[in-house]
Amino acid sequence: MVRRVLSLPSGRIAVCVLAVIALLAASGPLLAPQDPLAAGDTPLAAASGAHWLGTDYLGRDVLSRLLDGSRVSVLGSLEVALTALVVGVVPGILSVYLGRTFEWLTLRLADTLVALPFLLFAVAVVALLGNGITQAMLVTGVLVSPLFYRVSRAATLAVARSPYVEAALVSGAAIGWVVRRHVLAKVLPPIAVALAQTVGTGFVIVSSLTFLGIGVQPPAPTWGGLLASDLGYLGQRPWAPVAPALLIMVTVWACNVLADALRDVSGEAGRALLNSRRARAHRLDEADPAPAGGTR
Amino acid sequence: MTTTKEQAREPAAPADGRSAAGARARHGLGRVLATVARSAALFVPVFLVATFVTFALRSLSGLSPARIQLGEQATPEAIARVEAQWGLDRPFLVQYGDWIGGVLHGQLGASWTNGADISTLIGLGLGVSLSVATLALVIGVLAGFALGTLAALRRTTWIDRAVTGFVTVISVMPAFVVGIVLVAVLAVGLGLFPSAGYVEPGQGIGPWLAHITLPAVALSLDVVADVARQLRSSLVAAYRENYVTGALVRGLSPRRIFFTHVLRNGLGPALATLGLKFPSLVGASVVTEWIFGLQGFGRFANDSAQSGDVPAVQGVLVVSIVLVVAFNLVVNLVLARVTPAAQRGV
Repeated sequence: MVRRVLSLPSGRIAVCVLAVIALLAASGPLLAPQDPLAAGDTPLAAASGAHWLGTDYLGRDVLSRLLDGSRVSVLGSLEVALTALVVGVVPGILSVYLGRTFEWLTLRLADTLVALPFLLFAVAVVALLGNGITQAMLVTGVLVSPLFYRVSRAATLAVARSPYVEAALVSGAAIGWVVRRHVLAKVLPPIAVALAQTVGTGFVIVSSLTFLGIGVQPPAPTWGGLLASDLGYLGQRPWAPVAPALLIMVTVWACNVLADALRDVSGEAGRALLNSRRARAHRLDEADPAPAGGTR
Repeated sequence: MTTTKEQAREPAAPADGRSAAGARARHGLGRVLATVARSAALFVPVFLVATFVTFALRSLSGLSPARIQLGEQATPEAIARVEAQWGLDRPFLVQYGDWIGGVLHGQLGASWTNGADISTLIGLGLGVSLSVATLALVIGVLAGFALGTLAALRRTTWIDRAVTGFVTVISVMPAFVVGIVLVAVLAVGLGLFPSAGYVEPGQGIGPWLAHITLPAVALSLDVVADVARQLRSSLVAAYRENYVTGALVRGLSPRRIFFTHVLRNGLGPALATLGLKFPSLVGASVVTEWIFGLQGFGRFANDSAQSGDVPAVQGVLVVSIVLVVAFNLVVNLVLARVTPAAQRGV
């Protein structure tokens, strides 16, 4: 599946962008040209040779702060996605096998979690349960888990009613073996799509929370925190928010593109589609009924 | 509710008595009632579970009004006295029963920080937030429908690609990034709009609109993107159906085909998206109200959460759940009215 994603141009771009972001997160503090916490004597300076992206209101180097802050965002969004994965997928698969009571219960729980405004809930829970990005992301992960629950449940349902699984059960296969052998293979592609999407959502949530100053201690740099401090000095440095905002947007965009690429290559339609890219262009033409709606 | 009234009025409208239209309208009324009943059956457990989780937050948090009122050096006796005064020494389930009884009567209790009535405080902020959210929804629906319809009508042309590209760009912009950009460009740079604050609509519709336009636009982009995308794909799919070809063959006008066949059948997913988007709209208001300095619902949530005022946070969450549930009920009703196929699912 990895090779198929990489053979799509959009998949290649997305993977490259995300790899760069991951690299920044891993080595950002080392790459930072200056101490992100050291206050300089030239506050609110414009971009220059010494400070590539200028300085903030305390004279701290913005580029260093951006690089240093990338780790919080990346780790936070990964935490959201992985928590949601675990909390959502396990009951999603089990709901098909553990009987109607469990199914009803988990479905109602998923309905409930979807109805909760998760940013509001994250703010509330973080503030009440202690200030820390880890708790915030765990809670957010639980709140966005219904996506994984639904996706894995739908895939499991489809597979559980297919003839070859029934044949396996009739010939005496254990449920656990069926899940490992057949169900997981079918559930993985949609989960990968959901995972890519959720990492993007996670970025937005981490940035929003750090923007509000929740979950991190003040001097520590974060992308959201940079935006928040830029907001106060828009009059002096109107271009300051561009860099962190662009970083957030590009990362979220790359996650979405990766999700689309994964969706394109998973499943029979995706595989056929990849074999000849002309087929896709052709199919679009064909799908268009002649003077549809008489608009041309 | 408006849908129900419309439905009730309809049987009276055709004067020719027991016509097919009358029968259809009576059938429609039953359908709407069935939708309401089903939605209620779905949402009562949602409400109970959500409020229970919300209430359990206090025991989990370990916060107490004594800490806020007496400070860190309070004696255990003083803490116990304050907690007894707030009724926190009773068993958990008794407290929950008491609280949920109050919630059902519209009483959300008193704030730990200043003893004010939380329902009143939230009511004050809700006016601001609902103005912004409603305008955001209006913008989102209008722009999203316009873009989605445009892209679907001119599909596979450069217009379609331009719209799709634009939608992709705005869908990755978080509300607070849009908010900052709007403040930087339109408020600080060009001075077209006030950058912060709120004016009651009673003091003039013009200033009121000027103050809520920027936050509403910031909130709406996400809705615009999702509605446009959903509408485009479902309209394109509807155009491929055989009944559209049939309508063409019968010589119906393009306008009639679009409005009675394509739009009506393609509307469902876009409306359903609207229902799913509402919670994130409420959530994002926390951030936009912070940027634009609005003393609204989201700001109240943030402030009371940061000061550890548990009853206020619980109240905020209950109100947000009620808002989301009510909004989804309305969406379901509209869905049932517009697209008959929608109620076979749920």
